[in-house]
Amino acid sequence: MSATKPRTENPNQPRVKRNTRAGQSESFVDLVKRHRRIARGSASRLLQTPASSLVTLFVVAVALLLPALLFGLNSNLASLLAGFQDSAQVTLYLQDNVSVADGQKVSEGLLTRSDIEYAIYVSPSQALDEFGAASGLGDLLIEMTANPLPGAIVLTPADVSPLAVDELARQLQELPQVDVVQIDSLWLQRLAAISNLVSAIGSVLAVIVILGLFFVVGNTIKLAIENRKAEILVIKLVGGSDMYAARPFLYTGLLYGLGGGILATLLQGIVLATFNSNLEGLMQLYESGFQLRGFGLMSSLLIIVAGAAIGWAAALMASLRHIRAINP
Amino acid sequence: MIKFDNVSKRYANGQEALSDISFEVSRGEFAFITGHSGAGKSTLLKLILAIQTPSSGQLIANGVNLNRVSAKQIAHHRRQIGTVFQDHQLLHDRSVYDNVALPLEICGYQPSDAARRVRAALDKVGLLKKEKSFPVALSGGEQQRVGIARAVVNRPSIILADEPTGNLDPGLSAEVMKVFQQFQSVGVCLLVASHDAALIERLNCRTIILEGGKLLADQKPRPQA
Repeated sequence: MSATKPRTENPNQPRVKRNTRAGQSESFVDLVKRHRRIARGSASRLLQTPASSLVTLFVVAVALLLPALLFGLNSNLASLLAGFQDSAQVTLYLQDNVSVADGQKVSEGLLTRSDIEYAIYVSPSQALDEFGAASGLGDLLIEMTANPLPGAIVLTPADVSPLAVDELARQLQELPQVDVVQIDSLWLQRLAAISNLVSAIGSVLAVIVILGLFFVVGNTIKLAIENRKAEILVIKLVGGSDMYAARPFLYTGLLYGLGGGILATLLQGIVLATFNSNLEGLMQLYESGFQLRGFGLMSSLLIIVAGAAIGWAAALMASLRHIRAINP
Repeated sequence: MIKFDNVSKRYANGQEALSDISFEVSRGEFAFITGHSGAGKSTLLKLILAIQTPSSGQLIANGVNLNRVSAKQIAHHRRQIGTVFQDHQLLHDRSVYDNVALPLEICGYQPSDAARRVRAALDKVGLLKKEKSFPVALSGGEQQRVGIARAVVNRPSIILADEPTGNLDPGLSAEVMKVFQQFQSVGVCLLVASHDAALIERLNCRTIILEGGKLLADQKPRPQA
């Protein structure tokens, strides 16, 4: 008999043949039932120590909440900016000596450039009319003998990224007819760049948080294994594999991650509600109906699934390592 | 089925628990291992269970070479062996039923199939009425019998028992031995460590006597009159 083929060279045990094959005879329904039983056992163990379970749950939730909140606020900012960014405008104020006809000619010339999407000439008299209408000072302006306003060209760049707009403005400044170039939406574009930075910081934070969660869940699982050392020993003595002994702990990790994820989405709802009540006053001043939106169903699901996956994976790593070390 | 070939076991502290042991127990054989405490009985059982590995010599049990086994092989190997531990090794937060069902659960038996086997095993040791009790509520002898039920529930090809009758009165001891003999008659190989001289005498089985880690004698059963 050789050790390498223990099963095939063991023909003399007809009655125990089932033992070695029994795993295969288990139907899917039985498998689900068995796992449900193990999961229920893990859950009831968590409930046996509600205080420490709750603390761990909160730690997991807060850890998930931080990057999630950052991403959430940032996506709000991005969607707010997107509305403005489409209307990124550059205004060219022309020299006083440029006639209406010349101004229109310059404007039409600009339209042929590929980096300008749209350009329209506003004559000094048009500008005065618009100003009169907008300010309600029309009657007063009639009294004026000369129009102090210059002609202007309002244009929309094809590429609205800050760098491209800056470059366009620099080129336009060199036109002889142009007096001043004003980029209306520059600050918004700078904000967009900051928003990209925030999103990058969020990614780094997410990686750090995942590592942190591995430690938190891993350590909790380690303690749970220590507490049930005797049981694991017995399981190993009667032939349970490391994976079999680890299964309840995998569910513990999964439950921590799942519960933490759900708690994180609830907490972010509370945080956003708090922000929104403060934001309302500010946004009324700007006559904007803008409100912070929650993560939406998909993003919330993503947080919960990510939490569960991290919890499970952390438990898998911790339990296999610590259970392997327990030997009779 | 179990074959010791010049097996020695030295512990890390230099103590030699077993030295140069050679014997073979075949299928359907019932053998006692006896000797004073410290003679090496427990070490011998631990080697068969792959809890310890031999320092030298070759040990084959159930077709598995126990000198070199992987962790996965060890788990599979132990599933083929029913073991009655001296200190019972029961799970105290599970009922008697769940304790006995543990080996079946590990092997992935269907619950209905497992229930039938668990009740049959509990019936054999006379504890059918206690299936819902927890180990702490049982006497030492009852715990011992739960351990025996768990050892036989999986219909193993080898049964090892370390002082299985240590806590039992003579009547119950005889019952337990009867259960063991039933398994022997269907080809199971039994190795029972005991120093219950009266019991060994009465059962008239093969007896392996250890002393100070050495094999002192290997007595065959007396011929029946």
